[in-house]
Amino acid sequence: MGTRERRNRSNEGDQLLSSLFTESNANPQDVAIAAVGGFGRGELSPGSDLDIVIIHTGALSERELSDLVNKILYPLWDKNVKIDHSVRTRSEMRDTADSDLKVAMGLLDIRLVCGSADLVASVQADALESWRKNSKNRLAELEASLTERHQRVGELAYLLEPDLKEARGGLRDITALRAIHKSSAIAVPIERISVAESTLANVREALHIVSGRDKDRLLFQEQDKVAELLGYSDADALMSDVAQAARSVDYLLDSTWYRLAHKGRDGVGRFLKKVRSTPLSRDISVSNKEVVISGDADFGLDPVIGLRAAASAAQLGLPISMDSLERLSASLSENRGHLPNPWPRDARENLISLIGAGSAMVQIFEALDQEEIIFHWIPEWKAVRSLPQRNVLHRHTVDRHMVETAVHAAALTRQVHRPDILLFSALFHDIGKGTEEDHSERGMRLIEPLAKRIGFDEEDVETIKLLVKHHLLLSATATRRDLDDPATIASVVEVIPNLQLLELLHALSIADGEATGRAAWTDWKASLVAELVRRVELAITDNTVAPQPELTLDQREKAESGVLAVSIENRESVYAIEIVVPDKTGLLSIVAGVLNLLRLDVRSARTKSHGSSAVMEWIVIPDPHAPPLSEKKLYQELHDALESKSSLTRRIEERIEAYAQLPTIPVPDPIVDIFADAATDATIIEVRSHDRPALLFGIGDSITKSNIDIRSAIVTTLGAEAIDTLYVTEIGGGPLSSERADEVATRLRSALK
Amino acid sequence: MKLITAILKPFKLDEVKDALQAAGITGMTVSEASGFGRQRGHTEVYRGAEYTVDLVPKVRLEVLVDDQDAASVVDVIVKAASTGSIGDGKVWTTPVDQVVRVRTGEKGADAI
Repeated sequence: MGTRERRNRSNEGDQLLSSLFTESNANPQDVAIAAVGGFGRGELSPGSDLDIVIIHTGALSERELSDLVNKILYPLWDKNVKIDHSVRTRSEMRDTADSDLKVAMGLLDIRLVCGSADLVASVQADALESWRKNSKNRLAELEASLTERHQRVGELAYLLEPDLKEARGGLRDITALRAIHKSSAIAVPIERISVAESTLANVREALHIVSGRDKDRLLFQEQDKVAELLGYSDADALMSDVAQAARSVDYLLDSTWYRLAHKGRDGVGRFLKKVRSTPLSRDISVSNKEVVISGDADFGLDPVIGLRAAASAAQLGLPISMDSLERLSASLSENRGHLPNPWPRDARENLISLIGAGSAMVQIFEALDQEEIIFHWIPEWKAVRSLPQRNVLHRHTVDRHMVETAVHAAALTRQVHRPDILLFSALFHDIGKGTEEDHSERGMRLIEPLAKRIGFDEEDVETIKLLVKHHLLLSATATRRDLDDPATIASVVEVIPNLQLLELLHALSIADGEATGRAAWTDWKASLVAELVRRVELAITDNTVAPQPELTLDQREKAESGVLAVSIENRESVYAIEIVVPDKTGLLSIVAGVLNLLRLDVRSARTKSHGSSAVMEWIVIPDPHAPPLSEKKLYQELHDALESKSSLTRRIEERIEAYAQLPTIPVPDPIVDIFADAATDATIIEVRSHDRPALLFGIGDSITKSNIDIRSAIVTTLGAEAIDTLYVTEIGGGPLSSERADEVATRLRSALK
Repeated sequence: MKLITAILKPFKLDEVKDALQAAGITGMTVSEASGFGRQRGHTEVYRGAEYTVDLVPKVRLEVLVDDQDAASVVDVIVKAASTGSIGDGKVWTTPVDQVVRVRTGEKGADAI
């Protein structure tokens, strides 16, 4: 099995045709036999047709021509050789190719078998010239036909019984890539998929041999035999290799179409012949609708850059340029640019932003996989890469299933108070698959060092372990145990003792089920699980609301002095800022606005009023373009903004406008929850939203316009998700009435739209 | 011949299946179903919105049996499915004119 055998088969075909041509006594000046398609490339599987064209000058009479064709074809038919033929002149060839995409593509591989070499050479030149000249229309036609075929046949990497030739990522896509390359519209690095091509061609050849037929669909019943013939340990190993090959073809095809579509299309850049580039953060920009890592970037000095590029790309819904990925991959292979253990905070946050981007994350993750970058960050991923799950429940390989689960989890981030833990657990919940051992137990063991390395604290690591261990608990209990039996509820409460864990597990179960598909998750099952969760909720007494912060004695003293004071502590990649400031209406939005204008990204904040002042603790990450920060500068900016808020508002609006020019991805709607009785002296407003520029400024501003006081605020940003809890009162003190609370909630919701 | 149809609480399916197998029943059809009887529905909160659930998830099980076995098979199902509380479900039988096994073309009791 292999290229040589396929070449020999093709050579035998050539010899057979040549001898028939000689016997026919045809004049080799007037006529030629040429091979096209796979035969043209000199590659024949046992079941393949001999694809030929008989080209003639038109000098032969109709009778002479028909005699000649009969002399060649009848002996072949008698020998049961499968042959696909056409008889045409050079100009007929041109016309047919112009009207038929398949013919045009077949001619790109045309090869002389016997007869007039000049005739074949001229047809070849015509075909190539026309393909290049009309590349714009022809490639559009090709793309449409591929899309239609992919929809009809499905994805080679994930189907249980895939078609090796027609499915997405299959052999026909490789032919398409070659055709795109030959059009000269864009260079295609075909060599990237040479291994994939020989894998798929070998499997197809083996399939033809074991089945004795020319069908290309790798049916379940043939998989064991094909695996054995090719020397794989079992059918799973074979299918894993097939999936891997198909994914690399698909990746190259996808990025090729993308580059083709966005080639030189960036506003005025097209006319100035200069690519316009929009900087996003240090060494990362957008050009030609791709996220690009600067050529000067030093991966050794800035090991987070890859994750930052991945997160930015996913959040903008754009791909990362192949060149950037190749440079990053090469650097990592040379042991330069590895992340430290544990990861720094911004690496973890960027990973969470990447996972939280929903469906936009899939192609980024696939690119990181194809370029082998992900394995440098998360070596555990290698064990599940393209690992097949050959059962009727699953649609995807283990790795892709986990990515799909993360996509579904991203839609549920508003349902939980720790979206970062939900997203992380979703992406790794099946990491324990691949052995005979119970995958939940094994997964719990494997996730611990991984979660620690990524930088989760002890308590979070325990939560993540429980989620991985029990990710099937709710579905199994809901469908197999009596929900009316108090023992059933008690058994769940025993392992899931608090609401935060329960809401996380519920969201994970939904995401896992939805990603698995209709066979595993239906409305019927969802309603059973929801019923179980409802009953368990009633049995758990705690709540998920963030408590008000406690002030230290020192902070209380500062607050009582009633003067503005700023102190900044530099902690590696973040600043911890303490601000004590005389309380006034709109204070939260003013301070948040000042930080935003100083290009400091708020990751968390805890504020509390004491006497006539407010004590605020902020954790911020400076933007790569942030000016150097000093206590004096921050003091001055705050002082000015407290005097006059109007210029602040204007500058923030300009900033928001600048961001609005970047593309966006769909995210779940913000949620505003109001708890009337959770605290005795205040009303609690909880806002859960996708993070965006000046979010906190907007929330604070909207609260101020409602004419209420913020007593305390707890702000948390987890990846690209933000959860802000505000303890508010009427200006004179006391909780809001329910009508007032509704009014505030409505105002907030419309401000967040 | 009779068609026995049973509507059960989902968690009772395994028990009923085991009991039927022990009683010599080898084939059955199971599907997800939802509905309500005298237990009616209840209110619940799903993704923040309160709504009334008037359809409760159930399992529907169907078995084809010979006339003389029908009564005992119904007993087996009822015994295995019972928890004594509301919403345990129902079992009923319907007469069947003809049964054909698709593979062999066998008819009547032979096809069961």
